[in-house]
Amino acid sequence: MTAATASTKATTSAPDPADSSTATTVEFRALSKSFGATVALDGLDLTARPGELLALLGPSGCGKTTALRMLAGFERPDSGQVLVDGQDISGVPAHRRDAGMVFQSYSLFPHLTAADNVAFGLKMRRTGAAERRKRAHELLELVGLPQHADRFPHQLSGGQQQRVALARALALRPKVLLLDEPLSALDAKVRVTLREEIRRLQQELRITTVFVTHDQEEALSTADRVAVMRDGRLEQVAAPAELYDTPATAFVAEFVGTMNRLPGVMADGDVEVLGQRLPVRGAAPAQGPVDVLVRPEALEATADGEGRSRVLTAAFHGSVTRLTLSLPDGATVKADVPSHRAATLPAGATVTVTLPQRPVLVDGPTA
Amino acid sequence: MARLTRKPLWRGAVGLLAGLYFLVPVAASVIFTVDVPGQGFTLDAYSGIVSADGFTDSLLLTLELAAATIVLVMVLLVPALVAVRLGAPRLRPVLEIICSLPLVVPSVALVSGYSSVLRWGPEHLSRTPLFQTFTAVQDKRFPFVLVLAYTVMALPLAYRALDSGLRAVDVRVLVEAARSCGASAPRAVLQVVLPNLRGALLNASFLTLALVLGEYTVGALLGYQPFAVWIVNTGGNQAQLSVAVSVLSLVVTWMLLLVFAALGRPRDRSRSLSRSRRAGRDAAAPAPIAQEVA
Amino acid sequence: MTLRTKAPAGMLAALPLVLFMLVAFGLPAVAMLTGAFSTSSDAPGGAQWTTANLTDSVQGAYLTGLVSSVKLSALSALLAAVLGLPLAQAVVTSRHRALREGVLAASGVLANFGGVPLAFAFIATLGNAGVLTEHLGLTGAGWSLYTFWGLVIVYLYFLLPLMVLAITPALEGLRKQWREAAQNNGATGFQYWRYVALPVLAPSLLGGYVLLFGSAFAAYATAAALGSGSVPLITVQIADALSGNVLVGQGNIALALSLDMVVVAGLVMAVYVPLQRRSARWLD
Repeated sequence: MTAATASTKATTSAPDPADSSTATTVEFRALSKSFGATVALDGLDLTARPGELLALLGPSGCGKTTALRMLAGFERPDSGQVLVDGQDISGVPAHRRDAGMVFQSYSLFPHLTAADNVAFGLKMRRTGAAERRKRAHELLELVGLPQHADRFPHQLSGGQQQRVALARALALRPKVLLLDEPLSALDAKVRVTLREEIRRLQQELRITTVFVTHDQEEALSTADRVAVMRDGRLEQVAAPAELYDTPATAFVAEFVGTMNRLPGVMADGDVEVLGQRLPVRGAAPAQGPVDVLVRPEALEATADGEGRSRVLTAAFHGSVTRLTLSLPDGATVKADVPSHRAATLPAGATVTVTLPQRPVLVDGPTA
Repeated sequence: MARLTRKPLWRGAVGLLAGLYFLVPVAASVIFTVDVPGQGFTLDAYSGIVSADGFTDSLLLTLELAAATIVLVMVLLVPALVAVRLGAPRLRPVLEIICSLPLVVPSVALVSGYSSVLRWGPEHLSRTPLFQTFTAVQDKRFPFVLVLAYTVMALPLAYRALDSGLRAVDVRVLVEAARSCGASAPRAVLQVVLPNLRGALLNASFLTLALVLGEYTVGALLGYQPFAVWIVNTGGNQAQLSVAVSVLSLVVTWMLLLVFAALGRPRDRSRSLSRSRRAGRDAAAPAPIAQEVA
Repeated sequence: MTLRTKAPAGMLAALPLVLFMLVAFGLPAVAMLTGAFSTSSDAPGGAQWTTANLTDSVQGAYLTGLVSSVKLSALSALLAAVLGLPLAQAVVTSRHRALREGVLAASGVLANFGGVPLAFAFIATLGNAGVLTEHLGLTGAGWSLYTFWGLVIVYLYFLLPLMVLAITPALEGLRKQWREAAQNNGATGFQYWRYVALPVLAPSLLGGYVLLFGSAFAAYATAAALGSGSVPLITVQIADALSGNVLVGQGNIALALSLDMVVVAGLVMAVYVPLQRRSARWLD
């Protein structure tokens, strides 16, 4: 009882974006937009909750950047609305919106120092020079670059430039922070540290943030919720773990993480695959052949002299080893096994492949 | 975008004014040549060009000078630029400075230097074999001294055109790749590097050609009569004829430009290159991992 | 091939160019320099070292020529720069690609192919018997092509295209993100131009200006073909001196005047090159 109370207390005192009273809600309502013959957005409905970091994830051309640019005021919707705290902001010009944006790259003004870049917005609002300097310094400190205030953009590394851009985006204390693939031009290592830092800052400031990215790992590791988009529409929005474990559609399943397709046959609402009969989750055709979608770590491969599957290659990935297996019917799949077990499964070994007895997602002609 | 919301009226206005300023003199020149006071409409100015005294000679002279200048510019510049990229990158700024020096000496000043050098000939060298060289380069039929001066004047333009072409290709990698495929070094340069520089070579040639076709100062002040000098000399008594030739020479230059552009299409190529590079950057998104299996 | 054998090969291939420049550029340059500092050989007493040529070249009528050349160049370059910027911006932002390419190619021709045809086109248009002069009765209104302002109008014809060529790369280098980032930070369109675009373009604009100045300053063919003796220009004075229109023994005044021009052109380049570097660093 006491332990339970204590744990409740702990969770409520931790920053909980969902019930932050000061943070902002952003709503996309039935947004549509075409560029000539290309449909960028096709009735997008999506809400960013107060104080959360919402990632927009999808392949290029899925409309995620267009949605973000509408929020910033750089594009106008053909139809639909963008609501910030319930107010339609469609008529507000870009320079009067309360949304700080970090661009993909090269967005710092080349003729201004880091500090002047950060203070640019304050200058536009005719804030005094002393106040500007103070605020710029604060923000540079916040992003860990206080000693670089007087450097010009070309004297900064790519990661440092994006930190300055982040500070600039926060300078006017915006209601919403917009991140348009801010890490995509950076090295892998810098990308990871910077995304952790963005997350830390975002939680510290409790600012509602929309983060556009095509990198699923980035989205899953950084966001409170991830919205997967495809062809201008929302495919699924869910917390990262939920998205990974129970994807709503085959598209989400395959876009997020690695996914195997195993040949199966529908039978009375269940699916027969690898000699097993498994229940089906989500939509499925009534009859006929389907693809069964299974993660590599869900496939169980055991060494078996009489097994009808064979190990083609084994690739060491640290704690797990990824096997490429050829199934009895010739299909090739990937399976992850703990590396300490991999020694019994060298290339050429015969194995038996089984699936855990859990509902699976299938992709079929009428699914 | 805000731009979509308001019509770019200013752009139309600017375009219209600029169009007027640049087209009116050309149109007026045409009217001037075909509408002669007291005669009404006539094409005499144009039909009289070919038979005009000195026209063919000066035009041929200019074309020969242009051809010789282009050859000399290329022979001097191309091996130097390619070799420096291949083997002596530290010489590059030196070459750039050498080729930019003529920019500091306006053509009038250059010609004053030339004329005083040419005066040395009779004054100091009349008893040496060099004197014959002096006479030879000043031959009225083909004054090679003009080719020398034109080459100097064309070097900065040609250098920039070739250098930007070379910047777009990695000469070193190209040559090494060709040599690893068994080509000799000269063959690698001739058959691999030069074809990749076609646009830049044509561009440099065109700039040189345009310079020589329009060049007046050096020719006039050294006392020769290439095309531009002939136009001015004729203008004194036959204004219509000179204007007609001017109009024609402008038209011819335009057509040459079109020909060179069609031959090289350097602009198009660089454009599509940069576009695909940009597209490549956008598409740098790591492919969804699921594709591994598919 | 190792690097060891390559380096001399590189120098060897550059040797003809260096030798050529020594003869075709170095020799005349030295002749000009020594001539500018000595009396001409037909002067009484023959050639002797003197600074009189240079002193004379910045006095009296020659000073007037130099000053009016500088005035003409400075003013027409300024006009071309101010008018050329919106023109170039209109070209760069045009959605019709053919138009852009066409205007840029045309600019290349007009900027390099000025001179004689240009002069005759304006004689036919605004000269004493020009089409516009006659049809609009401009002579009665006090118009003459052969004046300072007449030359300015003619010079603009090749300076404007030159400005378009000089500034276009810089305008194309202005990133869309800068405009959007400025808007995102609360800047209006005017503020974007005032605080971002123009400062970023400043080195290119200044560089373009000095380039135009140098080009106008060096121009001779146009003025010669117009026959505008009423506006004294240093280039025309040099040409006159070279053609022997000076007193005996003063032949070297042309060389001194030429040296004056080289000094001005050298100053132009000394300003232009660093500006160009800075602009390239910002806009690449």
